[in-house]
Amino acid sequence: MLLNVQNITKRFGGLIAVANLSFSVERSEILGLIGPNGAGKTTFMNVLSGTFPADSGKIEFDGHDITNKAPHEICRLGISRTYQIPRPFPDLTALANVAVGVLCGKRRPHMGFGDALLDASHCLEFVGLFGKRNILARDLTLYELRVLELARSIATTPKLILIDEVMAGLNPAESRRAIKLIRRMLEEYHVTLIWIEHVMKIIMEATDRIVVLHHGEKLVSGSPREVSNDPKVIESYLGKKYA
Amino acid sequence: MVKVKLEQKRGRLVLHLGTLKLECTIEPRRWRNPLLAVAVLLLLPPLFFHRPDILTLLTTANMYACVAIPVAWQMVGIGRMNFGPQIFIGVGGFTAALLSIHWGLGPLQSIPFVILIGLIAGFILSPLTIVARGLYFSIITLVLPLVFMQLTYVYSKIFGGEYGLSGVQQLVSLGSMKLNFLVTFYLSLLLMLVFMFAVNSILKSRMGLFAAAINDDEDVANALGLNVNWWKVICYTITSMMVALTGWFMAYNVGGFSGETYLPLSFMLKILLIVMIGGRGEIYGTLIGAYFVSFLETGLRSAFGDISHFLFPLVLLILLLTLREGLYGLYSKHKYRDYYPTVRVRKR
Repeated sequence: MLLNVQNITKRFGGLIAVANLSFSVERSEILGLIGPNGAGKTTFMNVLSGTFPADSGKIEFDGHDITNKAPHEICRLGISRTYQIPRPFPDLTALANVAVGVLCGKRRPHMGFGDALLDASHCLEFVGLFGKRNILARDLTLYELRVLELARSIATTPKLILIDEVMAGLNPAESRRAIKLIRRMLEEYHVTLIWIEHVMKIIMEATDRIVVLHHGEKLVSGSPREVSNDPKVIESYLGKKYA
Repeated sequence: MVKVKLEQKRGRLVLHLGTLKLECTIEPRRWRNPLLAVAVLLLLPPLFFHRPDILTLLTTANMYACVAIPVAWQMVGIGRMNFGPQIFIGVGGFTAALLSIHWGLGPLQSIPFVILIGLIAGFILSPLTIVARGLYFSIITLVLPLVFMQLTYVYSKIFGGEYGLSGVQQLVSLGSMKLNFLVTFYLSLLLMLVFMFAVNSILKSRMGLFAAAINDDEDVANALGLNVNWWKVICYTITSMMVALTGWFMAYNVGGFSGETYLPLSFMLKILLIVMIGGRGEIYGTLIGAYFVSFLETGLRSAFGDISHFLFPLVLLILLLTLREGLYGLYSKHKYRDYYPTVRVRKR
C-alpha cells in the first residue's frame, strides 16, 4: 500500500471541507477522485500535498507519516502535484521551470546545474515541449502550461502524482493528446496517480478505481462501473429524481 | 611546446591547450561588454586626477552600487520589497567606527568583525521574511532604520547622537590628498566589482534559479521541494552582511559615521530608485542606475541650485514611469526578454 488516508478532516472556520475521509491507494494504481463542485477534492489535494494542515486524521505515505509535514518535505518523499489553474513560474523559461523541480524534488547533492538542465530538457522532450524550452512560461498556451506542469512533476521523481483537472479548458484534440501523454507517463515512470477530473468519459476509461466525494465525505468507492451505477452518486450529481 | 589557441565560433569560446579543448558557451557579442565597462572604469579616473570632486562622485556612485547590488538580489530572493536596507549600513558603519575609535582597529582588522556582526544582525531579522508578507513586510522594514536612528539619539554617548561618531582612522593615507581620492575610488571599485561578480555568479547558479522561483510563486516552489524559508533566510542574511560591509567602507572613507546621513528615508528612496531605474532584478542595471543617479543629482545641483531638490525626484519619477524595464532594458530589450540567461541545450 503506497498511500493510506485515515479519517482526515479539514475545517475552514465553521465549514467542514473534508470530513473523516479514509481510503488507500496501491502502487501503480490510478485512482480517480470525483465529486460535484465544492465536494472537497482540491482541498483534500492541498492537505495531502501539505499546503493546508489537516485538523485531524493521519496520512501514511510509503511507510512515512506525512500528516502536517511541510510541502517541500512531502515532495522530497515522493508526492508531486499539478494545479487546477496552471501555476508556472511566469518569468522563467519552460526549461528553468522544470529545472526547479529537478534540483529541488529529490536530494541530489552531486548533481551539477548543467546536469539538472539536461535532465529538465529530457522531461520537456517527453511532454513534447523541447522546442519551447527557451520560451517564457507566461507566453505558453493553456495546453502547453498543463503539460509543463506534468513535466515539472515528473522532474521531481515522484512515486505519486496528484493531477487536478488536467483536461479543464482543453479542446477534444488536446484532451486526447493529454491522455496519451499520461498513459506514456505511467508506462515510463511507473508512478501512481490520484486524478481529479470532471470529464466523466475520461475518468471512467482511464482509472482503475474511483472515490466519490460529496460535501467533504466519501460517498462511494469502487470500480468505474460500480460507481457510475450507484444511486447515491447519481443523486449527488443529478438529484433524487434521477437516482 | 604546448600549442595554445583561443577562438570564438558559433557562440562559444574555445581554448585549445595542446590536445586539451575547453569550451564555454557565451552570448554572442555580449560577453565583451562587461569587460569593456570595467576597462573604462579602470582607465578613466586617472584622467580626473586633478579633479577630486569628480573622483568623489565616482566613489559615491560605486558605494550606491554596493548597496543596490545586494538589495536587487534580495528583492528577487525573498520575494518581498525591503524598504529599509540602510539599517545594515548603520550596523556596519557604527561597528567600524566604534572599533576604530575605542579599540584602534584599522580598516582591514575590523572587516571580520563587521562581517560577523552583519551576518548576526541579518540572521536575527531574517524571520521577518517568513512571518511578514506583502505590505506588512514593507512597513516593518520601513520603520526599522528609523527606530535604529532614534536609538542612536537615545544612546548618544555610544553613537554620538545627531552628529554621529568622528575620529575614525582614514581608509587611505598616502600623503597626497589627490592620490588618496584616486586610490579610494579604486578601492570602492574593487568592492563593487567583487559584489557584482559574487551576486552575478550566484544568480547564474541554482541559487539564482531558486531566488527566481521564490520571487514568482513561493507556494509552488515549496510544493516542488524547495525549502523556501531556509533560502529566504540565507538570502536575507548574506545580503545584509554585504550592505553592512558597504557601511564599513563609508565609515573609514569619511573618517566618521552618522545615522543622520544614511538611515533616513531619503537615502533609502535613492537606493530603491537606483535599483528600479537601473532595471529591477538586473545586477548590471544597478551599476548603470547608480552612476546615472549620482551624476544626475550632482549635475542638477550644479545647474539649478536649490530647485534641484524638486527636480531630481521629479526626473527620477518620470524615468520610473516611462522606462518599465529600466535603463538596462534599453540595452537588452531587443533580446527576447527573460530575467535569467538563456541556456542552450542541444538535442543529440
